[in-house]
This record gives sequence, C-alpha cells and structure tokens, in this order.
Amino acid sequence: MWLLAALARMRPAAQSQAEDLDCLRHLASGDQASASALYDRHAKPVYSLILRIVGDEWEAEDVLQDVFAQAFRQAARYDASRGPVAAWLLMMARSRSIDRVRSRRSRPEAQTSDDEHAIDEMPGSMPDAASSMLDEEQARIVQRALGALPSIQRLVIELAYYDGLSHREIAERLEEPLGTVKTRIRLGLLKLRDALTEARI
Amino acid sequence: MSALHDELKANAAGYVLGILDAGERRVFEAHLAECGECAAEVASLRPVVGALATAVPQVTPRPEMRDRVLGQMIPSGASLSSLNEARDDPERVERSGSIAWLPLAAAVVVAAGAAVYAVRVHQQVADLRGQLVQAQSATSVLAAPDLARIDLQGQVVAPDARARALWSRTRGLVFSAANLPALPAGKVYQVWVVTAQAPVSAGLLVPDISGGGTAYYMTPQDIGAPVAVAVTLEPAGGVPAPTGDKYLVGTPAPGV
Repeated sequence: MWLLAALARMRPAAQSQAEDLDCLRHLASGDQASASALYDRHAKPVYSLILRIVGDEWEAEDVLQDVFAQAFRQAARYDASRGPVAAWLLMMARSRSIDRVRSRRSRPEAQTSDDEHAIDEMPGSMPDAASSMLDEEQARIVQRALGALPSIQRLVIELAYYDGLSHREIAERLEEPLGTVKTRIRLGLLKLRDALTEARI
Repeated sequence: MSALHDELKANAAGYVLGILDAGERRVFEAHLAECGECAAEVASLRPVVGALATAVPQVTPRPEMRDRVLGQMIPSGASLSSLNEARDDPERVERSGSIAWLPLAAAVVVAAGAAVYAVRVHQQVADLRGQLVQAQSATSVLAAPDLARIDLQGQVVAPDARARALWSRTRGLVFSAANLPALPAGKVYQVWVVTAQAPVSAGLLVPDISGGGTAYYMTPQDIGAPVAVAVTLEPAGGVPAPTGDKYLVGTPAPGV
C-alpha cells in the first residue's frame, strides 16, 4: 500500500513540465484555473525557499505574492528552452528574496543594478534538475548532503546561494583571501555533486 | 591558456551560483564559449545549484495565501462599474479625444486599489499592494514612450460596440470596451493584437451587465507591429487563434 502511494507521488518530471507549460499558455490568455493549478503545484517549494532566504513569514508571504504576480504577468514570455517551469519559479523566488533582504540591509554597495540583475540573467542559476527535485524526500537527501559538507564549505555555499553574497562580500565577512573563498565554494559544490550522484538524484 | 584558464575556472562555481559581478560574468561567459572543460564543469554544477533551491525545510504557506495570490491575477475583462460611469456619455469621449481616457486610466488605478477589503489588516495591505502592482502596470502603459492608440469600431454583429486599445510593446495593453452584447453561455470575448504574421491573443474579456469592460494585458514583446486590434467571440477559456465572429476591429491611428 505505502509503495503504491509512494509511486503515485512520483510524477515524471517531463509530465509535470508539460502540465506547467499548458498552464502558462492558458495563463497568457487570462485563464484563472491555470493560475490556481500553477499555484497548487508550486506554492510550497517556492514559499519554502523564500522563507529560508528572508527568514520572516510576514515578508515571505509578500515575496510569494510578488513571485506569482511576476509569473502571471510574464507567462507569455516564458521560454521553455531556458529550463523547467519549476526552476523558473524558484529562480524568481531566489532573486526576489535576495533583493528583499538586500534592501532591508540597505547596504548601498550591494545594490548596484548589475548585482541585482546578475541573478535574474544568470542562465547558470536555472536549476535544470529542480523539477524532479520537488519531492520532499529528495529535499531531505539534498539537505543531508549539504549538512555532511565541512562546515566552512557549507557556510560559503549558503552565503552565496541563500544570501546572494558575491565572492568579495564573502571574503570580507570571513576575512579570508578571495582565492580561498572561490576554492571553498567550488570544492563544496563538487562534493555536493558527488553526494547527489551517489544518491542518484 | 593555463594561468588564465585556472583563474577563470575558479569562477565557474560562482557563475553557476549567479554571484559574479557583471564584469566577471562577461569575461567568464566569453571564456565559456571556447573552453570545453569549463563548460562541462558549469553543466555538471547546474543541477547541484538547482538542488539547493529545494534543500530547505519544506513549509506549506498559510491557506489564506492561495486566495491572496490568485486574487491578484490580472482580471481579464475586469468589470469595474466606476469605469462605465465615466464612459456612459459617449459624446464626452468623442469630444475630448484622448484626454477622456486619462480619468478612465485613473479609475483603473482607483478601482484596482479599492477592489479588495480583506479581513485581516495585514492581508488587506498586502492585497492592495498586489492590486497596485497591476494598477502600476496599467498606468505604466499610459506613460509609455512607445504608446500606440487604436480605436475599434463595432462590426456587423455589434454595430454599437466600440473600444479603445492603448498598446506599448514594452508595457502591455490597456483595453476598454463599451456596448458589447451580453455573452452567450459558454462563450467569452477574446482580444487579439493582429500583426502582419498572425493574430496574437492578448487575453479574455468578460463585459459587465452594461456591455462595458476594461482590462490590462501583458502582451509578448517580440511580436510584430500591430496592424489591427480585434475582438472575437470564442469558447470559454479562449482559443489559440481566432475562430468566431469579429465584434470589434480597429487599426492604428495614423501618426500616433
């Protein structure tokens, strides 16, 4: 019984993506039901990421609303070749959450328009595999892999990904040479990659 | 290659994480185009960075959020009675030309802002903010430097109908119609931006009881210049290409 339930939960990524694409197409012509479907499928992982970055439920709810507003507005312009819809939503969630945190910190040096757009425009930040990752069990596997990293590697990756800090900003905070920070981030990600490959994600 | 390559390769992870500054990113992307090794590293790290998005405690948003988020959806064919009052006198619209559409636009903003009275103050403020995003979109169309005005005339099936479209490639379409016949069951009006290549759906329009409706649509930026804007009657939910009778058609005013 539990096996069937587990299997039922495992929707192939390709199928979810096809459904998502359908939603966006209909959304572009103002279809409300597609908006609901898109929200129901993605609100939880999107909200979870936002909450992790902004750290405050009140603000996280605002950002969640902003992200879906942006998705509804830009549905017609979504380009499937850039990655799955789930990844697109998560990318917007990350970008807007980091913007929110930065404006709260109001550190002018971190707010050049170049910095803000860096994440938006970054093709590299499109998590290709995210659509197959939304299962909570898999989220736990990734969390465990992250937790198994040496703490300094984990820290620099978290500062980069969840706080959106640049190499230089991380180096300043940790009082480490720039090159060391770059190396730590790279080694950490490579280790994470190996751990995830092993877990067959 | 090697010293420079090593220096650049150190930025591969930062590139995938999206934390390079603009200058670093340009340099790295130029390198990426000609370095298979770095391209392979970038490709192998992308799913890892993607996984980070989900490596967070999974928290379900409060159930109220669903209505709040969906309530802000662009109302295709929002029927805002205050707008129709402003438009009830057709002569006034005729006489004052485009100026008469400014109060109309203002009414879009006011009605959008006033549309929601949530129970919780917190929610109310946020809802209004969501409505405001839309209102800002509508006003930004009107402020667009590339604004095109297209007046639409009623066709054989609806000779009294009329409408005006204000279109900006970058900011979208504000569309307002009056005197449209009541919708038959299972049907909806669909607004089209007609380009030399094909009609592009802007969105759906459900008029209010008086046959009027105003809506803001985001239109794709990469379409050709509109040669016309049209409204057809289509099955509920809309269609990818027009199939039904034309109710309203208009071509861009010369010199706008």
